[in-house]
Amino acid sequence: MSDQGIKSRPKYRPISPDPAGRHHLLVVEGGAVPPGALAQGVSAAAFEVWTVAHRSAVPGAPVMEEAAGAVRVFRAVPHLLSALEERLARERMGLRLYGAGTEPFLWDLFGIAQAAGLGREEIGFAHVGTKARRIFCVHCRTVTEKVTTSIVTCSGCGAPLFVRDHFSRRLAAFMGVQVDAEVPGEVPEPEELYA
Amino acid sequence: MSPAGTCAVRVREIEPLAPGLKRFSFEPAHGGLFPTPPAGGHVMLTLRDGAKVMKNAYSLVSPPAERARYDIIVRLVAQSRGGSAFLHHKVARGDVLEMALPSSLFPVAATARKHLLIGGGIGITPLLSHLPELKARGARYELHQLSAADEVPVFERLLAPFAAGEEIRVHGGGRAAFNMAGLLARQPLGTHLYVCGPRPLMDAVSATALALGWPSGKIHKESFGDTSGGLPFKAVLKRSGIEVEVGEAQSLLEAIEAAGVAAPCLCRGGACGECRTPVIEGEVEHRDDFLSLEEKAAGTAIMTCVSRARGPRLVIDL
Repeated sequence: MSDQGIKSRPKYRPISPDPAGRHHLLVVEGGAVPPGALAQGVSAAAFEVWTVAHRSAVPGAPVMEEAAGAVRVFRAVPHLLSALEERLARERMGLRLYGAGTEPFLWDLFGIAQAAGLGREEIGFAHVGTKARRIFCVHCRTVTEKVTTSIVTCSGCGAPLFVRDHFSRRLAAFMGVQVDAEVPGEVPEPEELYA
Repeated sequence: MSPAGTCAVRVREIEPLAPGLKRFSFEPAHGGLFPTPPAGGHVMLTLRDGAKVMKNAYSLVSPPAERARYDIIVRLVAQSRGGSAFLHHKVARGDVLEMALPSSLFPVAATARKHLLIGGGIGITPLLSHLPELKARGARYELHQLSAADEVPVFERLLAPFAAGEEIRVHGGGRAAFNMAGLLARQPLGTHLYVCGPRPLMDAVSATALALGWPSGKIHKESFGDTSGGLPFKAVLKRSGIEVEVGEAQSLLEAIEAAGVAAPCLCRGGACGECRTPVIEGEVEHRDDFLSLEEKAAGTAIMTCVSRARGPRLVIDL
């Protein structure tokens, strides 16, 4: 049941800088550019890189360098995302944005990029790390994070949800629909699918 | 009765704007209102000058919300193939013409954070229909119009209603004095670019933007086609079983139409792809903006409205 033949499922591929771009910003969910995020032969030095340390002690950057080869470290993902909003608001045409991380991270990034006016032509994503899904309950609108199974109990309304491949770029989440809507109580055994 | 998709329009007003520049205002010949046109839309007029029938596309310059009239601005071209001279010299108030209803290949991008419009000469016309739409949406825009020095006041007058609070500039000092790269380099993320004007200007704007990292999807061009003509050639219409001679000052499409064959067309400027016709034999001189570089190299299709044969003979599947 892992391939449900749904076309909205995003596709990802290893990142290489778009030769048409003027400046390349690579945003990484973890502490370093993960192996496999970049296409073969591509060096991280081609990008300005933003990483997330997931700790409070991050090196200070007295002079903020905004150039290829520069690395800026953030405490946590929200720290990075809010800095990205500010950065994109003063950017000029010619920027390309790349993301490497899990799907919820990438599509949160996408939402910020889109609000700033970036289009799909200007964005490149590599999916690295866990395949765990963010699930949006279509019945109660609650978002349940880090779902790895084919069936999950909604953290909002308690409904047993079937995890679909149907993906919303706007919500950065997969769709969850009540699995026992026809026959209440008839819930299949959850399978571990999205580790 | 009018043919499908067309309507009879009456000339309600002709206003001279400058030497060689006239605004024509049309109303539905049978009363009522026109359909709401798209911003950046154009109409196709069928002009009958004696036995000569011309079909020319003109951008609407009236606001899209205006349905009582459609306005166009026509420049009298020295080497006119007949359309602009006919409109300037032979069409009078009260005349009824056949007009194809508007369509737009140059719409306003809904997701743009800012709109940068660049016009060259009479290429201002589709931008004049963008401006009221952008203003109505409360969108952020900036317009630069390149103009011959003596026509600067004309364009300033046309743009005056939209200038309040927005950056609108008319440049009369020629292309060299216009800092195109500087302008394109300082645009904020999410800007869409619209350019309409002579081909060298559109090519320069588009090449400069691409070199500065603009994605091609945010560069919108409205061409009014390369109507400069070329060497005469013979076109064989295989399916129709006829041959037409294409004259120096005539497009392939016009020659086909003159022979009485109903050929597909929409923009008549090499932009929309409607007139794409398979080529069976002969080499094509591509002048359109529609086919990709690969398709042009393959040479298996021609846009009859602007492109020509590179040689004495062309066989097409029509």
